[in-house]
Amino acid sequence: MYITNSAAGQPPVQTEPQQDRTAAERRARQERLRPDASRRRYGSVRDLIASPQNPTPLVRLSRVLPSGAEAHLKLEWFNPFGSIKDRTALYLLEGMRRRGELGGRELVEATSGNTGIALAALAALEGKKLTVTIPSGAPQEKLTLLRMLGAEVMATSDDLCPVDNPSDGAIALARAVAESPAHRGRYAMPNQYANPDNVRAHYETTGPEIWEQTEGRVRTFVAGFGTCGTITGVGRFLKERDPSIRVVAVEPQRGHHLPGLKNLQEAKAPAILDRSVLDDVVRVDDGPAYAMARRLFREEALIVGPSTGAIVEAIARLEPVEAGLVVGISPDGGHKYASFYAERLDAEEVAR
Amino acid sequence: MSERITQTRGAAAGAQAETSVADAELDCRGLLCPLPVYQASRAIDRLLPGQALRVVCTDPGSLADFPALARQRGLALLSAEERDGVQVFRLRKDGDG
Repeated sequence: MYITNSAAGQPPVQTEPQQDRTAAERRARQERLRPDASRRRYGSVRDLIASPQNPTPLVRLSRVLPSGAEAHLKLEWFNPFGSIKDRTALYLLEGMRRRGELGGRELVEATSGNTGIALAALAALEGKKLTVTIPSGAPQEKLTLLRMLGAEVMATSDDLCPVDNPSDGAIALARAVAESPAHRGRYAMPNQYANPDNVRAHYETTGPEIWEQTEGRVRTFVAGFGTCGTITGVGRFLKERDPSIRVVAVEPQRGHHLPGLKNLQEAKAPAILDRSVLDDVVRVDDGPAYAMARRLFREEALIVGPSTGAIVEAIARLEPVEAGLVVGISPDGGHKYASFYAERLDAEEVAR
Repeated sequence: MSERITQTRGAAAGAQAETSVADAELDCRGLLCPLPVYQASRAIDRLLPGQALRVVCTDPGSLADFPALARQRGLALLSAEERDGVQVFRLRKDGDG
């Protein structure tokens, strides 16, 4: 997909001799812009998805942490579809294609939104249909983005299937769509919660990027419990480089309002979680997470999603000297949560 | 996801909902839980108060899911039967559902 000046589809004004036409075509081909990452010129939006050759930025936190702390946030919202899940979606689909699971089938996936958005964008590039099951508490903005991308959205309450699947309604529903005999194998499910390609995405890209970007000086890595692809993949990569690097997971409270994160007491621990890479788990409740998200907006000018607030709040609670150079993940940006933030700001104004 | 909903009657009187007739029918045969309750919940959204929905399922999990759905949404579970691996439920939307 190159930028071209050719008037494709226009009827020729006059017939050129064969030789000249070939020469003209050759000239036109030469005038096309070739993809060139050094000029940030790409053949497809897909090529913008982060990789060690094209890492997402690390930005130092300068105001919200206690003095003496050195922490950097990895801004995953610089991925083209807006979150860390772009990496996951790309790896999930490539794995399925390699195993021959995609041919002629529609996709169905359970997601709090970001994986759905990335999958829907990649599916759109391929003309594939995607159905997304999403917890009903997800922000309206994400639902709208999914619909704009052509995905079918099935919003479910977490207690949809109270008997067998407490608190994981969206996952149970996606599995039912994929496995129901009436659908006769029409759907393929990437299943980010159990698919090792989710871990591989972070083991092969996010982890090496952090190692390179910190020149091997990272001492503590902090990410949230969600599908657990990030914490397992990056944690494993860093532990292999240096087992003394501390890997810290952030867990929200029960009944939290932090999309993308999971409390593993109320939700099933994802099959891909490898607890052997974890050194600590820090519990961060909604209140401090949203308060820190607001501080990140106002003091660091970082327009982040609520889960970044939880992750930075966890970093703020670490002992600076022991923690050394800290890298935390900022899974997504704040635009998709405008309605969530508006609700909190309005409630605070009323309370004042 | 196409749903197989059949309108069996137009604007039916709520008083008749106690019979085996329903205002709408949902065929969930071959669908695994929780798809039948999800589809039923959406079908109920389209019913008027007093109207009834008949759902036919083949996943035994629905025997637990439909009473739970009725409780959660304040629906009247008029009947729940199972015969030869087929479950049939009739639910009535009483209030706002």
